[in-house]
Amino acid sequence: MTERSARPELGPPQSPMLEIGASVPRADAWAKVIGAEHYAIDHYPLGLLWAGARRAGLAHARLRGVAIEAARALPGVVAVLTAADVPGTNRQGIVHKDQPVLVEDHVRHWGDPVALVLAEDRETLRRALALVEPDLEPLPGVFDIAAALRPDAPTLHPGGNVLLEAEISTGDTASAWDVCAAIVEGTFDLPFQDHGFLETQNGVAQVEPDGILTLTVSTQAPFRDRFEIAHALGLDPLRIRVISPYLGGAFGGKDGATVQCLLALAALHVGGRPVKMVWEREECMIAGYKRHAARLCYRLGALTNGTLHALDCQLYFDTGAYAHLGGEVMELGLEHAGGPYRIAHTRMRGWAVYTNNPIGGAMRGFGVCQASFGFERMLDRLAAALGRDRLDLRRQNALRRGDRNAAGVTLVHSTGLAACLETLSRHPLWLERDRWPDQAPPLKRRGVGVAAVFNAMGYGRGLPDAAIAKIALTPDGRFRVDSAVSDMGQGNASAFAQIAGQILCQRADAIELVQPDTARALPSGSSSAGRTTYSYGNALVRACEALRAKLLHRASLLLMVDEPSGLALLPGRVRHLPTGRDLPLARLAAMLPETDRVSIEQFVMPVSQEVPDTGKAFVIGFPHVLFAYAAHLAYVEIDTLTGKLEVCRYLAVTDGGRVLNPRNFDQQIQGAVAQGIGYALCEELRLQEGRILNPDFARYLLPTSLDVPDIASLAVATVEDTGPFGMKGIGEVGINGPLPAIASAVEAALGRCPSQSPLEPRRLVAEVAAPSASDDAPR
Amino acid sequence: MTQVLIPTSLPELWSALREQPSAHLYAGGTDLLVKRRAGLLDPAILIHLGRIDALRGVTADDDGLRLGAGCTHRELLEDAQVRAVLPVLTQALQTLGSPPIRAMGTLGGNLCTASPAGDTLPPLYVLDAEVELWSAGGERRLLLRDFILGPGRTALQSGEILAAVRVRRAPHGSVQHFEKVGLRNALACSLVSLAALVQTNPAGRVKHAAFAWGSVGPTVIRVPEVERHLIGQPLSLSVLSEAAVLARRAVAPIDDLRADADYRRQVAGNLLLRLAETGSAPER
Ligand SMILES: Cc1cc2nc3c(=O)[nH]c(=O)nc-3n(C[C@H](O)[C@H](O)[C@H](O)COP(=O)(O)OP(=O)(O)OC[C@H]3O[C@@H](n4cnc5c(N)ncnc54)[C@H](O)[C@@H]3O)c2cc1C
Repeated sequence: MTERSARPELGPPQSPMLEIGASVPRADAWAKVIGAEHYAIDHYPLGLLWAGARRAGLAHARLRGVAIEAARALPGVVAVLTAADVPGTNRQGIVHKDQPVLVEDHVRHWGDPVALVLAEDRETLRRALALVEPDLEPLPGVFDIAAALRPDAPTLHPGGNVLLEAEISTGDTASAWDVCAAIVEGTFDLPFQDHGFLETQNGVAQVEPDGILTLTVSTQAPFRDRFEIAHALGLDPLRIRVISPYLGGAFGGKDGATVQCLLALAALHVGGRPVKMVWEREECMIAGYKRHAARLCYRLGALTNGTLHALDCQLYFDTGAYAHLGGEVMELGLEHAGGPYRIAHTRMRGWAVYTNNPIGGAMRGFGVCQASFGFERMLDRLAAALGRDRLDLRRQNALRRGDRNAAGVTLVHSTGLAACLETLSRHPLWLERDRWPDQAPPLKRRGVGVAAVFNAMGYGRGLPDAAIAKIALTPDGRFRVDSAVSDMGQGNASAFAQIAGQILCQRADAIELVQPDTARALPSGSSSAGRTTYSYGNALVRACEALRAKLLHRASLLLMVDEPSGLALLPGRVRHLPTGRDLPLARLAAMLPETDRVSIEQFVMPVSQEVPDTGKAFVIGFPHVLFAYAAHLAYVEIDTLTGKLEVCRYLAVTDGGRVLNPRNFDQQIQGAVAQGIGYALCEELRLQEGRILNPDFARYLLPTSLDVPDIASLAVATVEDTGPFGMKGIGEVGINGPLPAIASAVEAALGRCPSQSPLEPRRLVAEVAAPSASDDAPR
Repeated sequence: MTQVLIPTSLPELWSALREQPSAHLYAGGTDLLVKRRAGLLDPAILIHLGRIDALRGVTADDDGLRLGAGCTHRELLEDAQVRAVLPVLTQALQTLGSPPIRAMGTLGGNLCTASPAGDTLPPLYVLDAEVELWSAGGERRLLLRDFILGPGRTALQSGEILAAVRVRRAPHGSVQHFEKVGLRNALACSLVSLAALVQTNPAGRVKHAAFAWGSVGPTVIRVPEVERHLIGQPLSLSVLSEAAVLARRAVAPIDDLRADADYRRQVAGNLLLRLAETGSAPER
């Protein structure tokens, strides 16, 4: 132990000056690294009860009743609740309210909750849950998209099995094919993907003495949660308070109700005692939301000169038992189905269908991740058919500012795809691409792949994407930001500190960040859709500027100068530059009443001013106008004996507008690419009649650090005029590239690539064994 | 509540076993605790073997090495003698679990779990390893392949523990090779694995060959036909391809979530072809 005492004392990093564009350390880094950060799961209020849901354990059944007497009789069990105990509508859902808090009579998936048990301790809870006996009459189930669409399929919801059907079209595809010199087609299948966050769904709830129902939850949408709970349980949303600490990951999986309604229901039944609910990993997998499984059918045609001319595609999304955001996910998929390219004639149709599979919901890449596989595979095939270089064909057709995209929307905001592709084309990894396959070791084949992707930002038209920022000067002369959008690890809270520090000229230790609390902050939407830093950040810019102006004005009174023009904010003080006199901020704060020390400003994201004559089925969400773009490159090596695929090198070039913090930017990209590599290589929910066969991390395989190469991240820093300091959101775009880029590389290596993902050894070894087609391998 | 006994010497262990015959042994707990959480076993009393020095350490003599059953995988990986004498075991250990698993898991635990996917088994099969079994009454020795009876089943008798593994030195100049196919590069259960010990003469012809496959049968499998087929032959792709056919015929894989039987069978044969590369450059 002498070793340890020799080490320098560890302590938090020095407080840096917060400036936009600098890689200042994340505001949450220190507390998280030393384990001091309190996630929702770390909350153990005194006298708590444990709540747990009994899951149906059948994918489709009539629930004839639930035998709860044995569980209720167990010592230590406080209550066992069923649907009969749910006040209100017993329906949750972000847009479509079709999901019961507790099932009344129709079980639609394996993880549907049929009873809620409350117990004094976890062990008793476990035993009691096993004693609850649902009386289930099995029904024939619907386990894939094709089965759901059959005319004689069992219907899962009153409106049938189609949650939403839609079309986005431009030009005239009927006649466009005749002039095409090359037409390629393909059908692609993608599995459900789990978010794989570390902190499983959890929270604590309690009815306070004043009657307010307070929840501390791992959630992406604290403000919306109030309304979901209120709707489901017949409560007044404004008598519900939701606190959202830093999340241990979410990626979309904590957008919408997970534990919220169950916890609230529990809290209503225990006379003011706090209730805690934590889903174990298996429950998290079984009951949680997933990236939709999808089937994509593509047909793409180009003119002799390589101009993309006509697209016809059908995108089918398996939304599982309930809607969650299935229609909206399909909307995004459809809106992006043409890729980041100009295509004059498009007909893109989409279906979101119900099945008895786990619930499809929001996940990073939100429909676009699936569609990216389709359109980029098409681009590769088209390049092969036309004898064109893959990158060159993409550059030729890349969307530029002023173009109309494949959904018919004019791009009036920053559009940096061409610059991304240009940067990639000059990168040594691209210039030296031929060396990679040439140097393949024996029994291995190597390939280089590229992909161009994009991802819309914000909610789209029809649902105002608004945020209201609040910042206050504290009595001790520091600044407190009441964040209203959760930080699930993506670093938006740190960006808020940086924005405030930049405008108010403060060091990190002068900015206090308060995580969302509906009692303190103001409604600002969810932490999602690449909007978090953009929308709240924009509001915060305004709030900080207003606060700065106000403080300088108040300071001029205290310093008795005629006007504030000679005053500047400096760390901890205001200085009158002509005389050099300083006024400490604590002193200024002491002069001001609390109401005067606060600044609150609002921002609403711009929406398209065009009214495309298509996509009418989308009441909300279509179209979007702001997009992040990226060009990805992958080097892969495939073992011919085992089919094992190794991603050896990776480059991501991203247009996210101006970069507020280069390190956070790179981490977002690298994290997204790593998650995308998992999607490409090994992540797949294995289902048998709606039951998940791999509901744990021993069998649902996430990539490890040894499966993810170093990821080079380069930024093409366009300026987005409407963004805070010119930025756009990049939380999602990075996950769309890996699967198509890796598939492109596999095709380069083997001459073909499976059309079903993930690209597992068993699929690749079959391709290796097939006769070589390396002559038409892409260049 | 589970009671955990922690003997610090053999006499303490024997008396604990005598007093608590129903107690369950464990070392690193990396198999046991997983099974316990899954509800596959729920022992009221556990006996921890990790504090008994007699079960630790690697010793060498002229014949070979004696590996204490209580050695962790990391200890074996860091042991210079193991690295020098048993490269095939070292290669296998490098693929086992992850650094934390290798720091906790033991050789004894890996063998007593008797999984056909246990990564230390194929190397020890090709090395014809012997196990030392101790009990209050004395010691007996068995060939490892006689010790393993089936998936999860060993010849351990009640009151007996696995004390050590004895491995003879491979003839000088032998090629030792291990390959595991998993769905990712760490924390991956093997879909199929192959350990090989091949001795060639100066002309590059095979004098002696031993192969053992993991995860393609109820236990690790050796295939005498394959070994015989190679005698006198060069390690060329064509010879190995013939041997691969024999291997595919002999293995008995099953379908599971990770891979189907056809894949396992095909790759079990394919893995032999790697020797055309590694075989020409014997590791020391
Ligand atoms: C995340 C994870 C990844 C893993 N990856 C791999 C992998 O890649 N490859 C692989 O082969 N294994 C893997 N394992 C399994 C496990 O780590 C190994 O089998 C390990 O060697 C077990 O050793 P242990 O000491 O932890 O066993 P324990 O869990 O302590 O014991 C296992 C069994 O052996 C018995 N036992 C242990 N020691 C003795 C002894 N000396 N005498 C008699 N009986 C004894 C115990 O009673 C018990 O029944 C993994 C496990 C986990 C949790």
